[in-house]
Amino acid sequence: MYGGDEVSAIVVDLGFHTCKAGYAGEDAPKAVFPSEVGSIDQMEVDDTDKSDKNSGSALDSKSKGKRKLYVGSQDMGFRRDHMEVLSPIKDGIVVDWDMVENIWDHALSSYKLNIIYLTCYGAISVPPPNIKLKILLTGRKCLLIDPKEHPMLLAEPCFNTQLQREKSAEIMFEKYQVPALFLAKNAVLTSFASGRATSLVVDSGGGSTTVAPVHDGYVLQKAVATSPVGGEFLTDCLLKSLEHKGLPIKPRYAFKRKEIRPGEFQVVDLDFPNTTESYKLYSQRVIVGDIKECVCRVPDTPYDETSYSNIPMTPYELPDGQTIEIGADRFKIPDVLFNPSLVQTIPGMENSLETLSFVRGLPQMVIESINKCDVDIRRELFSSILLAGGTASMQQLKERLEKDLLEETPQAARVKVLASGNATERRFRVPLVYYNCNRFRLMLETNLSVNTAFGSVGAYWHLLVPSSKCGSPSLSEFSCLSPHALLLQIYIYSRFINLYAVVMTGMKSMELLISNANAPNMLSCSTY
Amino acid sequence: MANAASGTAVHDDCKLKFLELKAKRNYRFIIFKIEGQQVVVEKLGSPGDSYDDFTASLPPNECRYAVFDFDFITNENCQKSKIYFIAWSPDTSKVRMKMVYASSKDRFKRELDGIQVELQATDPSEMSFDIIKARAY
Repeated sequence: MYGGDEVSAIVVDLGFHTCKAGYAGEDAPKAVFPSEVGSIDQMEVDDTDKSDKNSGSALDSKSKGKRKLYVGSQDMGFRRDHMEVLSPIKDGIVVDWDMVENIWDHALSSYKLNIIYLTCYGAISVPPPNIKLKILLTGRKCLLIDPKEHPMLLAEPCFNTQLQREKSAEIMFEKYQVPALFLAKNAVLTSFASGRATSLVVDSGGGSTTVAPVHDGYVLQKAVATSPVGGEFLTDCLLKSLEHKGLPIKPRYAFKRKEIRPGEFQVVDLDFPNTTESYKLYSQRVIVGDIKECVCRVPDTPYDETSYSNIPMTPYELPDGQTIEIGADRFKIPDVLFNPSLVQTIPGMENSLETLSFVRGLPQMVIESINKCDVDIRRELFSSILLAGGTASMQQLKERLEKDLLEETPQAARVKVLASGNATERRFRVPLVYYNCNRFRLMLETNLSVNTAFGSVGAYWHLLVPSSKCGSPSLSEFSCLSPHALLLQIYIYSRFINLYAVVMTGMKSMELLISNANAPNMLSCSTY
Repeated sequence: MANAASGTAVHDDCKLKFLELKAKRNYRFIIFKIEGQQVVVEKLGSPGDSYDDFTASLPPNECRYAVFDFDFITNENCQKSKIYFIAWSPDTSKVRMKMVYASSKDRFKRELDGIQVELQATDPSEMSFDIIKARAY
């Protein structure tokens, strides 16, 4: 019933630094935007609020109920007073699901969905109370799809916990009512995308670097190695290093650049005392991140201060027109990936890695990970090391890693590091968007019984029904049915809600239109 | 019979031809491809064909599975043969194709009982004759 290529699956990968979303089978993600979210507390700061916040993380998200979140490159690019920049992910684990929902909303589409939510909460004959048109009309979405019609594939990190999976499934089924959901490990996807069922995936992304062996399509969990040194970390190192050299990075919002005469520009500093520290850092990181991508290069041999002291400088023009010159840092910063102890020589970053003794360089992580695998597959892993993630597309990283590994591996091993041909692909961790929907489809057609054939897949297949607020049968009423019937019933059920929503909004839409004629984003209502 | 990972089935002919290769030694190699949701036999090599004939039969821009029957003489001077399974997915092929082939491989391989060595190759150097020889002993 979901079969056929005409319904393509949606793939969403929420990374530490960027969130990627797109259609399965396409070459690049349709939507790419920062994973960080801007937040303004709507609530006036009062004492009860403060005490709530201190009382624990579980309450935390509730007490922040009245904050307004801004998602997406456009919204984040605009400076607002008191806007804090927060990340929903910490150490690869989602800590704030409210933000994640907002990010998913942004990536998919939310207005249809919210109408359904509204009707769910009100009784059929009574107009739904407290209609908040605001939610209805946040229509600045990236994919503009109805999540109810598309199977969903979420890429998850290798070390995702059971709890995280449950929560993602819950939101996906209850809130977005996706017809089907699959959570795939991103290392497996990378491996498949390169045509290999067995490989060692070195994924160096924004927040961390992960080395994961994949064998016949499964991640060997015990051999996964991670380190906190990722793109963001290198960006911070570069930022600190530049500041130390007396080259402060002026965020884009902090000045105005006017052309006073043709070819001549005048920079006027602006002062916004209400800008938060975190937003300033965010804007600086955007710039420094670009400097890093433009000039940095992994050195061919381990970095040492003396031989790189006379390296020619590379110019980079900052947004305010000032040109800075970057010398040894070009090589020193990327070398932190290979030799984390270098951090101690970067002013301002000395204590950033408290557990420095546990953080190893990239080649050591690779070797350690391979050595934890079965002897029989080590040779194969050495000969198919795949690079993925944004940081891994750094110039010369592939060559350096290959060279370092050759020096440290047993003679018989044939080391081969592979990176996908084009840097964009690598950056978006190749795998995701290309994931074929066949695997998916089959699972749907043959239903849940397939799971057993898959072993672990069964563990994160959850079928949840909408919450009881909607007056739906509870989960236990469904559980006596065969998987097939269950799926069918849920399908019909979601159809019903859909229909109901249309009827409800059909009646209500005129009223809404009239009562909110002044609302600026009214247009999206006309779809109904 | 639809199956596991990618929804790709295996045509019975694949198993029969593989059995012939294994038991009767009718073929030097078999090349399989995925067509319309199932794995089918694309090409059969006659027993007289060489390894070069085999590599020349693999398309440079498309993924394939292949089985090759390798004859060699061991250090102890005894005539032996080994059956190789090769997953060919060149870098230049389409990502979707690579995905389908990689995710169906495990299941397909299990259908072919009697494979001794398994290789995955993304460019010709990864399945050069030297490597085949090195894996035989």
